[in-house]
Amino acid sequence: MLSSTQPQPQSQGTRRKKQCGSASVLMFKGNNLASRVFERQIRTPPPGTSVYSARRLYENLVPSCTIYDIECPDLSFRKFTDDGQFLVCFSRNHHDLIVYRPTWLSFSCKDEDCDSCDLPSKAKRFESFFTQLYCVSLASGNELICKDFFLYVENNKFGLFATSTAQIHDAPAIGGAIQGIPSIEKITFHLVRMEDGVILDVKVFSNDYLGHSMGVFLYDDLLAIVSLRYQTVHILQIRDSGNFVDVRGIGAFCREDDELFLNSHAQCMITLDKNKLRELPANHIENGTQQHRHIPGTFFLSGIKQRLFSFIFRGIWNEQKDHTMRVQCLKKKFYFHFQDYADLIILKVQFLDRHHLLIKFGSVEGAVSRSTDQHPAFFAVYNMETTEIIAFYQNSAEELYYLFERYCDHFHAASGNSLYMNFISFHSNNIHALEQLRNVKSKTSSFPQFVKKMLASLPFSCQSLSPSPYFDQSLFRFDEKLISATDRHRQSTDHPIKFISRRHPNLLRFKIKPGLGDEDIGNVLKDLGLFLHNASIMVASHQAYIGLDGSISVYLILKQLVICIEKCVSFFC
Amino acid sequence: MGSLLGDWPSFDPHNFSQLRPSDPSNPSKLTPATYHPTHNRTVPPPNQVISTEATNILLRQFYQRAEEKLRPKRAASENLTPDHGFKQPRGSFPDETSN
Repeated sequence: MLSSTQPQPQSQGTRRKKQCGSASVLMFKGNNLASRVFERQIRTPPPGTSVYSARRLYENLVPSCTIYDIECPDLSFRKFTDDGQFLVCFSRNHHDLIVYRPTWLSFSCKDEDCDSCDLPSKAKRFESFFTQLYCVSLASGNELICKDFFLYVENNKFGLFATSTAQIHDAPAIGGAIQGIPSIEKITFHLVRMEDGVILDVKVFSNDYLGHSMGVFLYDDLLAIVSLRYQTVHILQIRDSGNFVDVRGIGAFCREDDELFLNSHAQCMITLDKNKLRELPANHIENGTQQHRHIPGTFFLSGIKQRLFSFIFRGIWNEQKDHTMRVQCLKKKFYFHFQDYADLIILKVQFLDRHHLLIKFGSVEGAVSRSTDQHPAFFAVYNMETTEIIAFYQNSAEELYYLFERYCDHFHAASGNSLYMNFISFHSNNIHALEQLRNVKSKTSSFPQFVKKMLASLPFSCQSLSPSPYFDQSLFRFDEKLISATDRHRQSTDHPIKFISRRHPNLLRFKIKPGLGDEDIGNVLKDLGLFLHNASIMVASHQAYIGLDGSISVYLILKQLVICIEKCVSFFC
Repeated sequence: MGSLLGDWPSFDPHNFSQLRPSDPSNPSKLTPATYHPTHNRTVPPPNQVISTEATNILLRQFYQRAEEKLRPKRAASENLTPDHGFKQPRGSFPDETSN
């Protein structure tokens, strides 16, 4: 690479000298947006770093103003879609879906000093920024929309929503259901075309329970839905036409034709039994037929449980060469825990790629309670095509933690379609996040507890992380306790949330003031959406305050950045 | 001037003034240096195709560990697959349950 001998007219440039063999390369990364754009035109970035190079420009494009007190409709705001095209809201009674298109106010200023320019009065109106596309009723009767559930199928711009009836505790364990799991009479998944609100297809689960956040994982066009009650992982495909197609159901059966094979075998055995045991009374024959049915709890383990047991068995078998030792090992590690393994149920599932699932196994108590610390948990990797278990670990396994630490970003199965999802900061792809993890690790008193805590986040929920470049740890430093890429409700504070530049550790780039600061905040619910849209960047923060008198007031705070094209040379110095 | 760089803008108009354009009728005597291998030990196989591994690194790690775990330590004599045609009746496992 040639070195540039012409000094850039730069007051606050950063010079980095990089030795490449005998040539030295001077790379300026100035704070001036215009000069960075010009530099981008003439200089080729290092290969394979186009996304990083584009993201670095966000160091210059930061929110700069806040508009308070915008009157907005009384809705429950859920989320911006990751591509920034839609704002998803639900009605207060959780029956309707309302979708807005962010249209953004456009404004330009030609004065010398743009900072003193006031935004026009229409900037204070919700309608200036969002256009309502439609209001569609999803729930009818006694159903309610599950307000914590929304998945976006980005390729086809479909949205996946769920409605359900009330939960029935102490439901009887009939029809193959597991004892101890509640039941919901009707759970419906709605596939909605986001552009016009047409409901393309529905999938109904009756007398079932799918767990918190509906136990759903979306990978590209494949959907994995875990039925806790019937211990089945339903794999569905979302077609381009907007239809749900059943691919397979993993649980009691692994392959698509297992059920047919076992039923025909059962028929055959019944005939044999009848022939052999003709003299026996009728109830014996009934017992015989029952044994051929694969009801969980009987000693005939089929489907995924059988695969799991054979994996464990073979692993222990291969550990020892000596036959006596082998048997001892099996007794101690396998047969002693046989019933514990047999009692395990599938809790949660995620895709690792199109053919592999990461399955969390646990106890029934672990399924219904939120805290899983004291309950046993295991992880298994299952190949859907070969129907083999590839790996099986307890949640305290250091080997699994080692893989988690090194390849965390691969656990977040990001499909190839959305490029920016591959660039979310994790401790395995970002040195600053790794440092934070190391700090936590060094402070921990018990390493097994630390391992359990870290692995408790597996399997990951899909679409729970914001891909915004403002959460990129290489660009900005921010307090993870106050704000982070995870879509989690947090207790808000009065203090503004600061985003500090990584390259200039003392430079505060921007801050987000979570509230007006003059109210006594009892309980604050915060929902933050952050994304880029064309030339302006919007941070929309929606908060509901429960005031001192018990009233609920809603504020939509919008921060909007307006780029003045004529003055962009001096605007951001 | 007809320089090789044409009329590209330059910070200092006197830069590149020493550069003489190459004359197409009188080609330059300089030939770029080329390097040829002196052996063929590192020739790739004739129909080699280089492609990306389908499984990601995490899954490769899982498979590698599974292979190590399930690879029998002894060759062939104590393999687990039952003899063909001899199905164990349901209820008894293919090993000694005594002692």
